[in-house]
Amino acid sequence: MDPLLITGILAAGIRLGMAIGLSAIGESASERSGIFNIGIEGIMLSAAFVAAWGSVRTGSPWLGIAFAMVIGLMLASFHALMVLVLGVNQFISGIGMVIFGFGFSSFAARLTIGARPISIPGLPPVDLGPLTNIPVVGPIFFGQSPLAYIALGLALATGWLINRTALGLEIRACGESAEVARTLAIPVRARRTACILFGGLTAGLGGAYLSVVQVHAFVEGMVAGRGFLAVACVMLGRRRPLIAFLASLGFGLAEATQIRLQTLYPGLPYQFLVILPYLAAIVALVIGHRNVERAA
Amino acid sequence: MIMVRVIRLGLVFGFAALVPSLFVLLAGQSPWRVLTTLVLYAFGPQGWSELLVHAIPLTLIGLGVAFALRAGLFNIGGDGQLIAGTVVSVFFAPYFAGWGIAGLIAFLVCGLIGGAAIAAFVGYLRERFNASEIIVTIMLNYVAVQMVSYLIRGPMADPMPFWPRSYAIPPDCVLPVLVPGTRLHAGLIVALVVVVLFAIVQRQTAFGFQSSVFGANPGAAAYAGFRVKALTIGVMGISGGLAGLAGAVEVGGIYQRIVESMGEGFGLAGIAVALIARLEPVAIPFAACLFGIFFAGAGALQRELALPFPLVWIVEATVIFAVAALHWALPGRKAEA
Repeated sequence: MDPLLITGILAAGIRLGMAIGLSAIGESASERSGIFNIGIEGIMLSAAFVAAWGSVRTGSPWLGIAFAMVIGLMLASFHALMVLVLGVNQFISGIGMVIFGFGFSSFAARLTIGARPISIPGLPPVDLGPLTNIPVVGPIFFGQSPLAYIALGLALATGWLINRTALGLEIRACGESAEVARTLAIPVRARRTACILFGGLTAGLGGAYLSVVQVHAFVEGMVAGRGFLAVACVMLGRRRPLIAFLASLGFGLAEATQIRLQTLYPGLPYQFLVILPYLAAIVALVIGHRNVERAA
Repeated sequence: MIMVRVIRLGLVFGFAALVPSLFVLLAGQSPWRVLTTLVLYAFGPQGWSELLVHAIPLTLIGLGVAFALRAGLFNIGGDGQLIAGTVVSVFFAPYFAGWGIAGLIAFLVCGLIGGAAIAAFVGYLRERFNASEIIVTIMLNYVAVQMVSYLIRGPMADPMPFWPRSYAIPPDCVLPVLVPGTRLHAGLIVALVVVVLFAIVQRQTAFGFQSSVFGANPGAAAYAGFRVKALTIGVMGISGGLAGLAGAVEVGGIYQRIVESMGEGFGLAGIAVALIARLEPVAIPFAACLFGIFFAGAGALQRELALPFPLVWIVEATVIFAVAALHWALPGRKAEA
């Protein structure tokens, strides 16, 4: 194959996988502490809208991203309240969050910035000068959005925190056995709350990435399963943030490949290509999830 | 203790009333007017039959979700299974031309099989490969949407397509209208028969008992020698089969063909219905009617108060949270899900 084509697909794959990856980082921390948030999809949708709205209103994509982080934190703290304080089943609270995200983002979008996609001030890729011009490596690794580098940093930092620090050990203890953790005087609820909130924060970033960086618009339902893919990535990565993040980039690659195939084979019904990332998720779960404890 | 319960109940109901009201207020409308518009619509000349029309698929899907949830299985794939039901039933419908009532029954059974097949497959993947049924059912929703989009533009397209839709089903497969001048069709009878059937299956049969035990305590079910794998696949199949049946009923009763994005969002609404009914088969039609009001009345809200349709989903989510929090407010009652 043409090396330029492969470079293009790889660069696009990283770009398209980043929204999933950002969300997967926080979700893996949350699941490590023992709490699932299946509602990531809803948080991402809400955040995608809020980021778009904030950017249009203030003219600054960074402020839009900040708004998205706030809504992510708010929704995650609601999930924490439901699950940790009221004792609600975490999957039911999560499904409620998904439906709320659909409702809130579409309702608010139709009343404010309009249901039709309008262009919003986006975030340009960082300019790393001569690095971008290195063949192959340049466009793949040095032509990404600033959020992509933040995401990589977050993935590494979260992995380090969970695996190498005392705090991370406490978090893992909460996830392995809350009762044992309690007898060791670990504040289980506080640790779990922190992890859920962190999950909301990165899901907010992931949603913002989608509208402000990737598409430069808000479209109803634009998350299109990426939140659920993030949860799948965490399962595949066995709740290790960096692996989950890399798995997300794999789904981004699947997405980039199917988009490229659409242009290469215009005769093929595009619907068969659009489903590739979703099928990849099912296949990956079937192959990769065999010996892990059941998710649900 | 009583005081604590009263305060907690107050908080839950306050939350349920407050959240949708807040969004209505933000949209510049009065929540009171929303309520009166909905009630007036629901008991108006058109409304009562329209709310029942929407309650039919919601009842079927809600029953399926509840049945799976009782067994501890989360079937979030109602939307995809509904689509599978429409595709299989409409695919075979031309062969049933001239069969009369048998054709109608065969048509509905095809819908059931379509939904059951993909859901049972998910159950199999869960048992054999430990793949999360939550994620797999959701992924299949997206796959189903794309596949039906292809089919109604390609192999199953209307011979004279004005817009993307499938060919029409033969008259034998059409569910007759029950009340002339409305859209209320015989799907209502189908739904009620299924409700009665499920109330019996749940309470009177070994299968219903075993699936409930499995949901409450999988370890105990395995220890008791239940065939857990077959149980999972069977429960998922039945759950998806009901969503598929809902798809066939929608085609037979209303559209008489597959139309793009028909029944969209019913899968998620079915979860809300099941949870409000606290997974009790007999309560499900009533919960479905409640959401029928919202679904049917959303058009009136859009027309008269310019409130966008997604308000329905906000209400749905709020109700799910509120019902889930009820066992916190009333700790004496057993938490069902």
